Amino acid sequence: MILGIGIGFLALILLICGFEMLMVLGIPTLAVKAGLFANLPQIIVPQRMTSGINQSLLLAIPFFLFAAELMGQGQIAKRLTGLVRALVGHARGGIGYTTIGGAMGFGSVSGSAPATVAAMGKILYPELRRVKFTDRFSLGLIVSSAETALLIPPSITLIVYGWITGTSIAALFAAGLSVGAVLGLAFAVLTAIEARRTGVQGDPRASLSQIWQAFRDAGWALGMPVLILGGIYSGLFTPTEAAVMSVVYAILVEGFIYRSLDLRAFVAIAERSAIQNAVIFLLLALGTALSYFIAMAQIPNALINALAYFQVGPVVFLMVVNITFIIAGMFIDPNSIQLILVPALFPVAVSLGVDPVHFGMIVAVNIALGMVSPPFGLDLFVASSTLQKPVTEIIAGVWPFIIVNLIVLLLVTYVPGIATLVPDLLF
Amino acid sequence: MKQLLSIIRMFERTSLVVLLFAMTGLFAFNVLIRLWGGSAATSFGWIDKVVRTMNIFLVFLAAGLALELGKQVAVDSWRQRIAARTGLPLTRIIDATGLAFSLYMAWQSWNMAQFVFASGQVSATMGIAIGWIYVAPCIGFLLLALRYGCSLFGLIDRFNTASEAGQ
Amino acid sequence: QEVSLRIGHVESPHSTTQVLLERLSEKVGEKTGGAVSFQIYPQSQLGGQREMTEAVQFGALDATAGPVAFMGGFNPLASIMDIPFLYPGDPQQAQAVRDSGFADAFCDSFNLRGVTCIGLYPNGTKQFTSDRPISTLEEFSGQKFRVMESAVLVESFKPVGVTAVPIPFSELYTALQTGIVDGEENPLDTIFNMKFFEVQDYLTLSGHGAIENVILFNPAVWDRLSDDQRLAITSSFDEVIPEMIAHKTAAAETSLAAIREAGLTVTELTDDQRARFRDAMFPAARDAFLKQAGSEGQALFDAYQAAYDTVMN
Ligand code: NA
Ligand code: NA
Repeated sequence: MILGIGIGFLALILLICGFEMLMVLGIPTLAVKAGLFANLPQIIVPQRMTSGINQSLLLAIPFFLFAAELMGQGQIAKRLTGLVRALVGHARGGIGYTTIGGAMGFGSVSGSAPATVAAMGKILYPELRRVKFTDRFSLGLIVSSAETALLIPPSITLIVYGWITGTSIAALFAAGLSVGAVLGLAFAVLTAIEARRTGVQGDPRASLSQIWQAFRDAGWALGMPVLILGGIYSGLFTPTEAAVMSVVYAILVEGFIYRSLDLRAFVAIAERSAIQNAVIFLLLALGTALSYFIAMAQIPNALINALAYFQVGPVVFLMVVNITFIIAGMFIDPNSIQLILVPALFPVAVSLGVDPVHFGMIVAVNIALGMVSPPFGLDLFVASSTLQKPVTEIIAGVWPFIIVNLIVLLLVTYVPGIATLVPDLLF
Repeated sequence: MKQLLSIIRMFERTSLVVLLFAMTGLFAFNVLIRLWGGSAATSFGWIDKVVRTMNIFLVFLAAGLALELGKQVAVDSWRQRIAARTGLPLTRIIDATGLAFSLYMAWQSWNMAQFVFASGQVSATMGIAIGWIYVAPCIGFLLLALRYGCSLFGLIDRFNTASEAGQ
Repeated sequence: QEVSLRIGHVESPHSTTQVLLERLSEKVGEKTGGAVSFQIYPQSQLGGQREMTEAVQFGALDATAGPVAFMGGFNPLASIMDIPFLYPGDPQQAQAVRDSGFADAFCDSFNLRGVTCIGLYPNGTKQFTSDRPISTLEEFSGQKFRVMESAVLVESFKPVGVTAVPIPFSELYTALQTGIVDGEENPLDTIFNMKFFEVQDYLTLSGHGAIENVILFNPAVWDRLSDDQRLAITSSFDEVIPEMIAHKTAAAETSLAAIREAGLTVTELTDDQRARFRDAMFPAARDAFLKQAGSEGQALFDAYQAAYDTVMN
């Protein structure tokens, strides 16, 4: 117990002092190993790290990252956004809806929220400012909308959850569809209020021929969600196979049809994707080692017994889960949060009768929130570097969205139907 | 030393690009042959394992470069303030800790690789020694150690993202 | 002095293996006056089978109970279990073959490879299912079957005119659904739990393939136990085996009833038909095994043949 608190404190110090997350996870893992399992051979740590990431399921991650970069740098993201704009741009504050719809549209082909922030930010920030949304609101909207990309399939976060818990990725993806849509809708309500409050106008209504033109421009881009989701739900592809096919499709469309990327661009994008992949996987690897010791120490059993002793039911338990995730999400990288908390909490949730897919959605909304919650939110930094704005300014704009986010989190937690509606229809 | 670093960078970048494209090509080929290759699919069961192994190398070969480019995730919001308030040379402490941590992990990974090579375990499908997968983290942590060390001794400036490697 | 032995397996907390290990722990506790107990980690909590076997080798895990089929990378002789119709159809007779020296010889082949094998137990029998009729050898001819990645399995199907396609287990349902393969082979409870029966029309109760598990100990851990403690473990293991065969058979029967209910055409091979299948498939599989396992494999096969002949004659 004292050892546990000491190790937690060590991790916190490392975190606050700005050590890389690989050390924030790695050093406490070595400390737990030395403190509780001193008689185990040291080589168990590299063994768990390496074999933890040696999984077919996880191969979806490098491929989805690569595809997202290709589409963001090329034309696919722009054309999907153009189509959304032709459809909703004329409403009051229409560019705001375009931002949300664009993020959801790009989210349906991209598995990563940071990639979506980068792509949407460059395309839509100037437009939001042009129609006189405030700087703060524009920044907040771009950063928050990207959260929908993390929920709407494909989603790297959901792949990681499925990998940790053994839940079906296809079922998680189906659930993410409705939860992502609810979150997008909630942000749209906020945008409507803001547009009315500040008197932002819409663009002129697009003519039918302009809409038709936007559809035609987006034709090849629209093939992408059809390929990914259609492929997975028709049973043609596993999620990993869908991921690699999305790379092939992006290379063909961007390289040979749109001709927006040349060989040099492909090489640069591959290198950048490989580096992003390494950052995620290094944490997955170290997290596997840490969760091995969590399993060895039988912490989930201890938690289940404690909850039974205090007669805690699912309602209170899920509230505790949410508070834990929100606090952790303020400080820690979302992938690492899953790796630390889910192996300990998932068996408890299941023992209390919470549906694994529903629990996955609660976790995913929390992680989406953690992407944008200060002081440490990965998407805040991505937006800061793509838009060249100080992080403090972005944080100022993100607050109203965080409140909306919390409301959606409560809804998803206590109305399981939101999460399980689509999977129940499909399976 | 600078020259050695740029040779290593060249090697890392080339392998990353080649690995990612090769993984894409091989895995896509595997999908297509499964869908339309009929019984030819029998012969390509090894692709999944090979691509997984390539991904392990992709991850660890990029680890050091990611650190040098400032891409490894860290909460750096308070780093400077804590350093100023306490008077501690925090970035040097982080580099020194990172160097020690990486060297230790590289050493353990090497021990693991040696153990598995000695035990004679082979991949049932590929006939290749399993020990190779543990060589990847060994290389990866050495590349990380190199960057932590270079940063500690002022050969690279990884806390300033506009570094040489970022150009 | 009390020892708690950490043992890991990949199966569910409701599996026969879990039941076996819990009973084993109970019995060993009684016999040793509580000095030896097991701490069981189910469902791959401590890693996949390959990683757990490796961890047993280097001493991070005391023991593992796992399918022989996942241990080919550690012990090439493990593929002897892929030979179809290795055991007689009757579970008691099959156990008699194990007890007549085959289990000991098989375990010995692990003991040279950095682990101590303390027992071999049956964990199910594979049956055939397909989209097309499969009650006779002639009907098999021309079909495509999914098998686990194993040269012995692939070779065993050739004489009956079946193309064997290795497909990962996780993709099998889809492969059957989309018709990439016509059929597959698995134990009844797997066919039921993985819902393979939803995408198959015919089931033949062939009992042709042995799913065998071993319990492997880290040699240093095993050697540290006293003679009495080791005897307590091995004798308890022998006592539990009949119980677990019963547990496994009950699970198979429940599954079979549900599969029949789903409307599959179920046929059972007669002894004569079974003999015809064995004559067709066994020799090719045996030759494939002997080819890859060398003289060590020949010695193991001879021990098997001797045990088989003792029981059958
Ligand atoms: Na997405
Ligand atoms: Na955060």
